[in-house]
Amino acid sequence: MKLVIDSLFGRITAIGVYVVGGVRATFELWMVFVGTIAGIWRMYGRRGASRPTGALVEQLHIIGNRSLLFITVTIGFIGMVMIYQACLQFSRSIGDLSQVGVQFVRLIISDFGPTLTAMMLATRVGAGIAAEIGSMKVTEQVDALRMSGVLPVDYLLVPRFLASIIMTLALSILGAAIMYGAGGLTAYLSFGVNPRIFFDLSFVQPRHVILGLLKALAYGAAIPIVSGFCGLRARGSSEGVGWATTAAVVGSSFAVISLDFFLSVGALWLLKGDL
Amino acid sequence: MIQLHDVGVRFGARQVLDAVTLSVPRGGRLGVIGPAAAGKSVLVKVIAGLVAPTTGRLVIDGIDVTGFSEERLAPVRARIGMLFQNYALYDFLSVEGNVGFPLVRRGEPADRVATRVRDRLRAVGLAGSEAKLPSQLSGGMKKRVGIARATIAAPELVLYDEPTAGLDPVTTSKMYDLLRADHERSGATAIAVSSDVAALITFVDTVVFVYQGRAHYQGPAATVADAPDPVVRQFVRGALDGPLVG
Repeated sequence: MKLVIDSLFGRITAIGVYVVGGVRATFELWMVFVGTIAGIWRMYGRRGASRPTGALVEQLHIIGNRSLLFITVTIGFIGMVMIYQACLQFSRSIGDLSQVGVQFVRLIISDFGPTLTAMMLATRVGAGIAAEIGSMKVTEQVDALRMSGVLPVDYLLVPRFLASIIMTLALSILGAAIMYGAGGLTAYLSFGVNPRIFFDLSFVQPRHVILGLLKALAYGAAIPIVSGFCGLRARGSSEGVGWATTAAVVGSSFAVISLDFFLSVGALWLLKGDL
Repeated sequence: MIQLHDVGVRFGARQVLDAVTLSVPRGGRLGVIGPAAAGKSVLVKVIAGLVAPTTGRLVIDGIDVTGFSEERLAPVRARIGMLFQNYALYDFLSVEGNVGFPLVRRGEPADRVATRVRDRLRAVGLAGSEAKLPSQLSGGMKKRVGIARATIAAPELVLYDEPTAGLDPVTTSKMYDLLRADHERSGATAIAVSSDVAALITFVDTVVFVYQGRAHYQGPAATVADAPDPVVRQFVRGALDGPLVG
């Protein structure tokens, strides 16, 4: 009996430790977000702020320009596969392919364009941010920044946060265009769909565009926050950096999918299902 | 003056520091010695405000800075320089960028920063290395760059975490000559953590022996080898037999 009670207490304690750890991590993640917003004000907003444009431009280049080829190729292939599958199913079920492009463009603009682009960015940019900040953490460079009177969140996260928002927006627009174009080409070459019918934008409403841009904005904010948080939590040595990088990719991807779900549900609720 | 009153630090279930009380007068030089994982580096990080004590108080020049936020600690840290155990040089900056970083962050004009960096690098024997990256430097050179960065803003307190770890005996002697000359000129307070007790006691005037998270012994550096405490004597003499655990 005593063994059973001890075992039960052990399990309850383990669950408690897990829950407390989760709550604490969530609170710390929130504090990193709040600190980053406050950092934007400190660095760019208030009178007499330093406004370091060099760091921002560098991050715009790293996050945006260096992701361009990766996004173009992966999103282009995804667009081709998706439209090919859609055409295949449409031809098998209703035999009319005139609606493929018309229906698909709305989905690409409001969902697939920003979400799939952000998923790609979560792997490339998220891993990079976590590895960079994580290795600075375990080699005491973050402590050295603090000793120089620098808030690590301001110096390391604020430029990445701003650059990620700007570039996720830009790359999402580009990704959606590439996906649509690659899909249209696939539909024409594989199923003979007339490009004039496929590239018909008459059913696209401003609400689709607004939702897509809102999602891109949210993803662009979430990726550096989650990745930076994981980097700042890195402990020990290279193993800790590896853990931080893995956690950043998993966490950023999860954040993108979760935000997609909640923003889509919110939009459906606001528009009473007319999306 | 640096004062620690009953400072304790706990990481999870592990009590790293326990009721440490010590004080260092202005201009004094304290050596922190002790076995590996005794809490020496954590003690220095507590003084730097990088690790918050779980219990106790840290008082710097009469001001209790325990529990200060990062923003409130900034002016306190502006008076402290620190050499980190693993150099902590910024990979993405050159030697010049690393050494001048504390001054750049304070908004000093670029020409003044460049002059100060040149002077400091000359003082640590690294003149002409301004454009090199940390990856192009040897361990000894990285330590000297770290010292230059820690002292460029003329701090009132300099913390050295293992200033000679991994260095050969000749470079170690040169390093302590450099620190001695620097402190005799500046009059700054120094706290140095080192496992190389013989070399350390040539630089400091007092030592504290940290053992099992406690300030086990404090006394003059010159007589530490003959300390009344058998644990301290065994550690300093490097004897295999004795009461020292771990």
